[in-house]
Amino acid sequence: MLFNTAQFFVFLAVVLALFYGAPLAWRKPILLAASYFFYMSWNAKFVLLLLTLTAIDFTAGLLIARTKPGPRRKLFLIVSLSANLGFLGFFKYYNFLADNLARLWGLAPHVWALDIILPLGISFHTFQSMSYVVDVYRGEQVAIRSPLDYALFIAFFPQLVAGPIVRAREFFGDLYHWRRPTGDEVLRGALMVLFGLVKKMVLADQFAAVADSYFKNIGAHPGVLAAWSGVIAFAMQIYFDFSGYTDMAIGMALLLGFHFPVNFRRPYLSQSITEFWRRWHISLSRWLRDYLYIPLGGNRHGRLATYRNLMLTMLLGGLWHGASWNFAIWGGYHGTLLAVERALGVKGESSGWTWTYPFRAILTFALVSIGWVFFRAANLSDSLWVIGNLFHGPRGHTLLGPWYLRLIALALLLAVLEEKAEWFERVVRAPAWVYASAMAILLFAVELLGVTEVAVPFIYFQF
Amino acid sequence: MAPSCAPQPKRRVLVRFLLAALLFCGLEGAVFRSGFYLRFLEPNSTAGLLQAILNDERLHYRAGPAYVQVLGDSRMALLLRVSDRLAGETGYTFGRIATAGTHPRCWYYMLREVDPDARKYAAVVIPVYTYDDEDWENLADAEVDIHYLAPLLRLSDLFEFSLSFDSWYLRGRAFRTVLFKGLTYKRDLYAFWADPAARRMHIRWEREDGAKARYDFVGDVKTNMTGLAVDWPAHKITHYPDDATPDIRAMLDTELLRSTGNYTGQRTAYLRKWFGKIVERYRGTRTRILFIRLPRGPVLRPYKPYTPTSAVREIAARGDAILMDEHCFDELERPELFHDAVHLNPTGCERFTVILAREVRGILGPPPTR
Repeated sequence: MLFNTAQFFVFLAVVLALFYGAPLAWRKPILLAASYFFYMSWNAKFVLLLLTLTAIDFTAGLLIARTKPGPRRKLFLIVSLSANLGFLGFFKYYNFLADNLARLWGLAPHVWALDIILPLGISFHTFQSMSYVVDVYRGEQVAIRSPLDYALFIAFFPQLVAGPIVRAREFFGDLYHWRRPTGDEVLRGALMVLFGLVKKMVLADQFAAVADSYFKNIGAHPGVLAAWSGVIAFAMQIYFDFSGYTDMAIGMALLLGFHFPVNFRRPYLSQSITEFWRRWHISLSRWLRDYLYIPLGGNRHGRLATYRNLMLTMLLGGLWHGASWNFAIWGGYHGTLLAVERALGVKGESSGWTWTYPFRAILTFALVSIGWVFFRAANLSDSLWVIGNLFHGPRGHTLLGPWYLRLIALALLLAVLEEKAEWFERVVRAPAWVYASAMAILLFAVELLGVTEVAVPFIYFQF
Repeated sequence: MAPSCAPQPKRRVLVRFLLAALLFCGLEGAVFRSGFYLRFLEPNSTAGLLQAILNDERLHYRAGPAYVQVLGDSRMALLLRVSDRLAGETGYTFGRIATAGTHPRCWYYMLREVDPDARKYAAVVIPVYTYDDEDWENLADAEVDIHYLAPLLRLSDLFEFSLSFDSWYLRGRAFRTVLFKGLTYKRDLYAFWADPAARRMHIRWEREDGAKARYDFVGDVKTNMTGLAVDWPAHKITHYPDDATPDIRAMLDTELLRSTGNYTGQRTAYLRKWFGKIVERYRGTRTRILFIRLPRGPVLRPYKPYTPTSAVREIAARGDAILMDEHCFDELERPELFHDAVHLNPTGCERFTVILAREVRGILGPPPTR
């Protein structure tokens, strides 16, 4: 059940009606049932995996909280982390490791491969679950005593599949002090859901057509212009796809009275890679910082150790996206860029819009786009071929026609206006006719410009 | 969860949502439901062709008690230029909204469009291929109906039209089409944006010459099916007409050699519904409903399907319609009068029109005076 289908909106309407129509005591069970229904609508068998991980981490949290600091406490943590990483490792990385080991042994690559289906959202809910157990271990989070509450934290349908990765204290803060959303929150939530849908169906899915036509047959599109246009199309696709999904998730959560953290803040306006990672998939960056980079030592042990930690964090962050050398290289590429920027003293904060801003922003966007080649290309040799074409060879033909350039210009204008004038929030608080006009125009845009013939899956659903 | 403590913002939110819905409906309605967009519709599209034919009919219509409307698909061979020529003799003027590729479901909505008050016509002629309900295709799931009818469907048709399809997929598509017209028109809109000059040229041609070209259309006078020979026991066409193109040969194979469908009652139910709706529409009016059996083909298939029901016979038996003599057009079922497996050639069409006009006159009698 994809967010961009009529079926899902029927589901959402039913959940909202049941949630607000039911007495308070029933609301949590309703959300949990809806979340499990949502998960099982994809593949009912994997509900056992979700239940198992939920039970393990819930129990681990309780045991850790009841045990005094010492080896036993650590053992509970290790058991929980091993279970999460074990399941994640098996489902996501088994074939990758098996293929590479087979190659090392001189065997055919798929000789030990298994026919494994990646369970929906496993990368997200395991990270969320692990962060809870670690927080309990660190004493930053009280252990949750209700298995129902904990199950809801893991399975909450708006963010189960592709985040944002929510911290336990954020989620339970809302759950235990739940209040009916204010008028502004309902209006904001509804507008976010619709704006997310526009990002996905009008922008991402249209750019997907260009990116797919390029990357599925790169040999058919030689030349510098073709390569840049294909890569830029994918840069647009992945941003609008993922941020569109996130907007919808945050908006739906808001409609249900939950406040999720911002996950994207116009990343393509960044002036450096460091700033980019503070604006892109913020909940993952925050997770990697708090549970990987800082425990590795962060920037506390000198320059070289900092560079190593950055590199390790980004490498693992890359591999989190998928089990292939391409993702590892993508992570390593960003790790290298972050290390270089740190060496050059580049700050992550925006340094204001001086005359150098356009050059910095374009350079950052170009560097990010080059990284996306590893993310999108089918394999390493394709990636290298595309990168070669970005910088030399015949001129070729652009795949981005005037229509797409207009879409990019419109998106850029909206991003700049949001950055400088926060138009979204102004619309939420504006007089009724302004808000209603914005909603009507967005609906009309989905109807007329959205890709509606087929429901194109979200890219991050595969992670 | 703790009980709510925030004030209820219901009214403020509801006003905005309702206003948004109204604005969206207004915007959608202004563009796609007002007829505004129809001026830009590609005339060569399915919906565009149907619009052109309905416009032809509006231009051709002569108010009065002696106007006969003819429905049908591409097999309806009535030529208006011939029937108009015969108007002096028969006393009746014929209109024709028959459109290639349409089905009885379309005919109902088309008729509603050209005769909204159900009082224009002396008779409505409805063609069928056979008076027996042979189930060899499921017309209820004819997806093309959605494309043809998109401009004609109203919100009040939402449930009836959508649920008239058997498959849930098509029901969903039909539902969306009625509810959100933009979803249907957007491909047309993209094509317009991609090449506005070509679209303007098509529209200008349609406006200036389309109706006349269709009225004067003669067709390929040379092609006929002479020489066609079929070995029915061997289920094989033994000789194709000399000038049959590969397309026509393929069509002959498909139409003549298709297997006889097993009786399911599906077609009867479909025809009962849509012919029944047409009958109901004109109940109590002066309009007579006439069913005719079209010339079946250049050669006759010897297979006799098991068809225990017949929607048109049931309707006629109730006195709600007249069945024209089943063998009225038998003399036209000859290879030299057919263009392909199912369509009459220009000579066949002329003769068909003459027979139809005179038969209708015979059934209806002299036209009433005002």
